Amino acid sequence: MKNSNKLISVLVPIISVLLAFAIGCVIMAVLGANPATALQSLWIGAFGNTRNLGTTLARATPLIFTSLCACFAYRCGVFNLGGEGQFIIGSVACCYVATQSGIEGFPGILLCLIVGALAGGVWALIPGLLKVYRGQNEMIISIMLNYVATLFMGVVYTNWLREGNVPQTASVPDATKLSRIFGLRTTSAFLIALVVGLLIYYFLFYTSKGFQMRAVGLNMTAAEFNGFAVKRYVLFSFVVSGLIAGLGGSAELLGTQYRLINGFAAGYGFDGVAMALIAQLHPLATILVAIFFAALRVGSTTMQAATGVPTSVSDIIQALVIVFTVAGLAMVKLPQIKAVMDRMFAKKEAA
Amino acid sequence: MEEFLRIEHVSKKFGDFYANKDIDLTIRKGEVHTLLGENGAGKSTLMNVLIGLYQPTAGSIYLNGKKVRIDSPAQAVKLGIGMVHQHFMLVEAMTVFENIILGDRNTKGIFIDREARKKEIVELSQRYGLDVELDKPITEIAVGAQQRVEILKALYRGAELLILDEPSAALTDIEVEGLFDIMRKLTGEGKSIIFISHKMREVLRISDRITILRAGQTVCTLDRDETNGEELANLMIGRELTPSHYEKITQPGEPVVALEKVDYHKESKHNGLSGVSLTVGRGEIVGIAGVDGNGQSQLAQVVTGVLTPDAGRVDLKGSRVAQFTPNGFILESVSHIPEDRNKMGLIGNMTVKDNIVLKSTDTPQFSAAHGFFLKKRAIREYAEEMKTKYDIRCTSVEQEARNLSGGNQQKVILARELEGKPDLLVAVHPTRGLDIGATRFIHDTMVEAREKGCGVLLISADFDEILEVSDRIVVMFEGQVMGVFSGKEPPIQEISLAMAGK
Repeated sequence: MKNSNKLISVLVPIISVLLAFAIGCVIMAVLGANPATALQSLWIGAFGNTRNLGTTLARATPLIFTSLCACFAYRCGVFNLGGEGQFIIGSVACCYVATQSGIEGFPGILLCLIVGALAGGVWALIPGLLKVYRGQNEMIISIMLNYVATLFMGVVYTNWLREGNVPQTASVPDATKLSRIFGLRTTSAFLIALVVGLLIYYFLFYTSKGFQMRAVGLNMTAAEFNGFAVKRYVLFSFVVSGLIAGLGGSAELLGTQYRLINGFAAGYGFDGVAMALIAQLHPLATILVAIFFAALRVGSTTMQAATGVPTSVSDIIQALVIVFTVAGLAMVKLPQIKAVMDRMFAKKEAA
Repeated sequence: MEEFLRIEHVSKKFGDFYANKDIDLTIRKGEVHTLLGENGAGKSTLMNVLIGLYQPTAGSIYLNGKKVRIDSPAQAVKLGIGMVHQHFMLVEAMTVFENIILGDRNTKGIFIDREARKKEIVELSQRYGLDVELDKPITEIAVGAQQRVEILKALYRGAELLILDEPSAALTDIEVEGLFDIMRKLTGEGKSIIFISHKMREVLRISDRITILRAGQTVCTLDRDETNGEELANLMIGRELTPSHYEKITQPGEPVVALEKVDYHKESKHNGLSGVSLTVGRGEIVGIAGVDGNGQSQLAQVVTGVLTPDAGRVDLKGSRVAQFTPNGFILESVSHIPEDRNKMGLIGNMTVKDNIVLKSTDTPQFSAAHGFFLKKRAIREYAEEMKTKYDIRCTSVEQEARNLSGGNQQKVILARELEGKPDLLVAVHPTRGLDIGATRFIHDTMVEAREKGCGVLLISADFDEILEVSDRIVVMFEGQVMGVFSGKEPPIQEISLAMAGK
């Protein structure tokens, strides 16, 4: 039973991806392109050479952070839809320290990352506190705070930290930028993301507190009856979730964007939520899913150049993957489908 | 009096279990007919058969002398059978008027002739004294008024027979008087009422006839004037004392927990406690008897730290409890088998082994470096050991707890709660829904814990269970302690009267 559950949780996303690609191919064919060559150029664009791979991983990095952010809070049974806001607040705080403090080099980087992470944590504390002490709906509040954060960032790059006449902040000093790996576009931000993913994985599955947090997430009433401080875990999960997003914001600023500008981080929050759900809240799977989505985005440009298939086809595929996975996971929970599957697995085990 | 409804030899089987067996019941026009019985006596099943939710396995139903088939709730409405459920079925955001016409098929096309409908409803409500404000949303009216809306709804749909399922449970005394007035008016107009209640006082006041159900069968039907509370209580409980399997203890040790005049939401008779004092000593099992919903859940949650009492004093092992948190009680070695094992006891999506060690992953036995590294192997081995010791039937300790049968789920909880050598065990309906084998195992385990010096507070709606294992029996009614009786040769009659609030 346990094994069949695990198998299903891996099969559903894989089948969803295949289905999404199948439909994508039909669209490509209708547009008059050869799906095979289009897919080939998509692959080359994303992973074809080390340069492209580097770009893909660089694009994946912020998505890994926001999806880990969503994943962590969900594991405790609360919905942090404010990853984007926390990401932005983290990068704003980071930008301020990087450009105004005068501390550069490695100490500067460290300080920037810490301040950015803390700022994200504080931003997440707001919905967390309102949830725990006032019973407010954390989803709505965290979404609303996204807008506040985006507009706040607007004030920052158009007024307080504007550079000259352009609505953008100054670039972070060269010495404070995160170093590239092998000269690719991927920076050490990607490594930080990997480490964060591993830490979360370790925390959730190998520590006592992580175990208890998961218990709270799966059944709050039972967790309370068994003596766990449910409110404390909810608050903790929100803050850590915000820390991850804030750290991601800082890493993105120091590694890729270097300055705040209109459109910074737009959409990352909800992308992260979708990816965490496809990965079924497994932190390591989350990383893979984020890379997969980044590959679709990066590769689509090459695909457009080579075969004329517009990049929006890639967007369609991405959306279909999300729809199919979510629908598929819901479907396998239906009693009728469950009965059929149980019979199938029972036969296999018997044979 | 003319008969309205006759049930002949109706049985309803679930699997091998008869929820109703060979039931005979006649409802006359214009009478209040009470169904009396313990939890699980088969009242709800019988009512669900009448309103078309269940199909009887055998037997027939006659309405006005004609045989009928009630195969859907809509059919029941058509035949003039209406039910007011204990938990009201109203759309809270809608107004009284909208709730009453909801589902009404008497409309022209897609439009509702609101004025005409309203007129009909006002006439109905005046005729039966069902005073309601039609344009108020449900959320803004009192519980008593909500009930009147339910009755009005049933009448508006043409009910000739009204089934009232524990209608007085949620009402204040004054509201109960109002309800009785309405009931008398209804029967005066020739409508029939089936009244379901546990409360002897009310039953004796309002009923014309009383039918007693026990273990899914009709015991007898009596006229109100020919009976009294004592007889009814005896018939309802209906058992001779069977000798217990266990030896009863009369000299308990020092008190583990002592409650003194504890209040919790005192004004709520069914979900509160009022001036409760009781003690549980080391090495004794104290059984709380009483019909479900007389404060037992709240009592259990107070003595496990989930609820904080409004007044009174709780002493644990001789020192007064200042702060009520589940964790604080767990640290004082209080174990809890909660009433809803799926909701409160287990993390269903976690494995059997995880549920067994749920409370103890912080201990050095299961994790190193202050919880920073779980000893997965130790946990697994321990879980295997518990699986054998408590005879937990699962494919592996890696199986998810929600996939286990009820009895095995309860054993998982027992393994977790008893292995820590508790000083106090609070067990709420520990054998509800379990088969005889599992029940016996759980009773044995509780008695074994008692032998080791653990105090046990057993709360159960199953009177047999209380008689079987309790050393002392405390009867609760409407949040109060009605009496304390010895578990050795218990005076059944007195206890059953106390349970009925006399």
